[in-house]
Amino acid sequence: MSQVASLLIALPLISAFFVPVLKQIRKSLIFPYLVIITLIQTGIAGWVFYEVYTTGKPILIYAGGWKPPVGINLYIGHFAALFALVIAIVSFLTALFSFKAINVEPVDKYAMLFLLLMLGATGMIATGDIFNLFVFMEITAITAYALTAYNKTGEAAEASMKYIVLGGIGSSFFLVGVALLYGATGTLNMAQLAEFASEGNIAPVVAQVGLALVIFGLAVEAELFPLNAWAPDAYQAAPHPITAMFSAFVVKAGLYAMARILYLLQDAQGWSSVLKLLLIMATLTVIFAELSALRQKDVKRMIAYSSIGQIGLIALAFSLGTEAGVSAGVFHMLNHAIVKALMFLAIGYVGVTLGGTRLENFEGLGKKMPLTAFALSVGAVSTVGVPLFNVFWSKFRIIVATLQAGHVWPAALVLFASVVEAVYYFRLLHLIWFSGEGERVRESWFVVFLIILALLIIAIGVYPTPAWEIAKRAGSDIFAVANYIKNVPLIRLG
Amino acid sequence: MMLKRILAIFMILIIGFWLAKGLSGIPFGADKMLVGKYYLEHVKDQTGAINAVTAVVVNYRGFDTLGEVTVLFIASTGVAALLWRKRRERTAKMEGSVVLTTGSKLLFPFIMIFGMYIFIHGHLTPGGGFPGGATIATAFLLMYLAFIVYEIPHKGFEVTEGLAGMSYVLVGLIGLVIGGYFLFDWIWQTWKLGTIGKLISGGFIPVIYTIIGIKVATELSGIVDNMLKEEVKE
Repeated sequence: MSQVASLLIALPLISAFFVPVLKQIRKSLIFPYLVIITLIQTGIAGWVFYEVYTTGKPILIYAGGWKPPVGINLYIGHFAALFALVIAIVSFLTALFSFKAINVEPVDKYAMLFLLLMLGATGMIATGDIFNLFVFMEITAITAYALTAYNKTGEAAEASMKYIVLGGIGSSFFLVGVALLYGATGTLNMAQLAEFASEGNIAPVVAQVGLALVIFGLAVEAELFPLNAWAPDAYQAAPHPITAMFSAFVVKAGLYAMARILYLLQDAQGWSSVLKLLLIMATLTVIFAELSALRQKDVKRMIAYSSIGQIGLIALAFSLGTEAGVSAGVFHMLNHAIVKALMFLAIGYVGVTLGGTRLENFEGLGKKMPLTAFALSVGAVSTVGVPLFNVFWSKFRIIVATLQAGHVWPAALVLFASVVEAVYYFRLLHLIWFSGEGERVRESWFVVFLIILALLIIAIGVYPTPAWEIAKRAGSDIFAVANYIKNVPLIRLG
Repeated sequence: MMLKRILAIFMILIIGFWLAKGLSGIPFGADKMLVGKYYLEHVKDQTGAINAVTAVVVNYRGFDTLGEVTVLFIASTGVAALLWRKRRERTAKMEGSVVLTTGSKLLFPFIMIFGMYIFIHGHLTPGGGFPGGATIATAFLLMYLAFIVYEIPHKGFEVTEGLAGMSYVLVGLIGLVIGGYFLFDWIWQTWKLGTIGKLISGGFIPVIYTIIGIKVATELSGIVDNMLKEEVKE
């Protein structure tokens, strides 16, 4: 029965392949089709989530019926179950939004790429094999390149070009890293690699070089400094719904993959120096992103920088090497996915309605589109980390975990960056509510979903315990490697 | 300018040295065939295929191949999405010589047949769906280059591409129904169809490779078509 969970992969695939056929039948059916497929995906992901969290056991999918390490297995543990659900829900929301936001042809190609972006991210978080991870990463990355340039403007082409070059180099680094690890161990299965590492069977120099290559390769997808120069351009140039997907789960999949591989090899020698590398990259990411956001004139670009800053915070939590840090990082991932999905959807909605996302367009938004403005404000206040909003709790936990791990400087720098963040967010809020004049603009049914997301943010903020419990279980899925190895039944070879 | 180059060379040397140090930790020639040995020893009775590479690629690690097929699909979709214009036509002006056009016409069926041969015999000889499909796409490329007005039937190609992809997933889903696992080789493992070494063998490998061959051929031809056409002002 549990093998049915492989539909998480099979459904988006087969539905993406069906789009060319559907286009010949009737073109106007494409967007409703997209909504229905993402809704079914949400249903499957919801069922998987329920199964995993009630039984407490991960769902293992054996592709082709081959047991690992001979075949490829998917490992849907607490983390993957949670994020498969997040991915599906965000995809559903963005599919609804696509009705309004996408009027550039060809919409059939858009629908295919959209479904495959969702598929790639789901595969990345579910796989239990590092080469398979590479394949899913390529699926995610190449759809992202194509979707970034989808609007076919000059700046979109430029952004996509930057992304494709950096992403290509990153992927090759990753592949070289995988080759090194395979050469040293003879296996590609994550559980078996972890076993090799814990028995001390990987030569320290190989583990270190291989791990550093993998981290560097993934850093492009995970938007870590200095490999994130493509991100603000891509966020700004991509179609609005796609930006929401980038921020809510594409970058998260990269971050998760990084954390997963990092913690699998935690017993390898030289591990702590790789952690230090990641710690430095993460702290610099936060500082640079927040300082850059301060001077932006375009709101979408500003939020893009803010998103990168938050991602740096998650990476910081993952680079601490403690269970508290990893759990806090996962909690922040969840909160950030909700908040940034809301922010980018709301900003995109304003952009579509008022024509553009320049700062001037947001003047007097509180009078023009009060409901959207309300949702946007909740998102903004939450990102800054004000108590009684969800991000406060995860930011707080990350900083406490950082201090506990003994890193005073990174904690101080990150706190400073939060102050910077508060400055530009409150400037935006001032613009929305206290300046400018405007006529009331009719807001469509889509606002309902924005309000629901905003209420969710407040609900988690007021009552964080359930969400925190979920995040803690998902976090220990990444951290407790011994458990992970135990859960994957490896065939003994030779 | 000069300084930049020297710095770059210096950096590359450092990275090269670092990689070499990593590589030195891998014992080349030593017996590290952990999973590889298993494949070589069990490939015939477990998959019914002679060609171990295709057996690994389609059967043991078929999930990766499904992903790679998807990557190619994305590439062709992406190109089509980015080059989309209302009206696009070929604008080539120079007519090819008679020798070229006649030669291409003659060669076209031969290349097609050879491409099909490659993907149908994937489980027996080197090759498989990807090289077979690429070979067929070169036949279309040849037609595009030899004739200034040649065009593939788009609608048909697009639909075929989609249907081929769907059949791949469907074969996998049938495996889920019959064998309980996605991408389970029901033709060999459940039905035991075929004799090893004959054309009818290798379980679902020839079936999937035929699907992949068709898919890759239509996709690459579509990319060629998209890239050769230019926008026409009305």
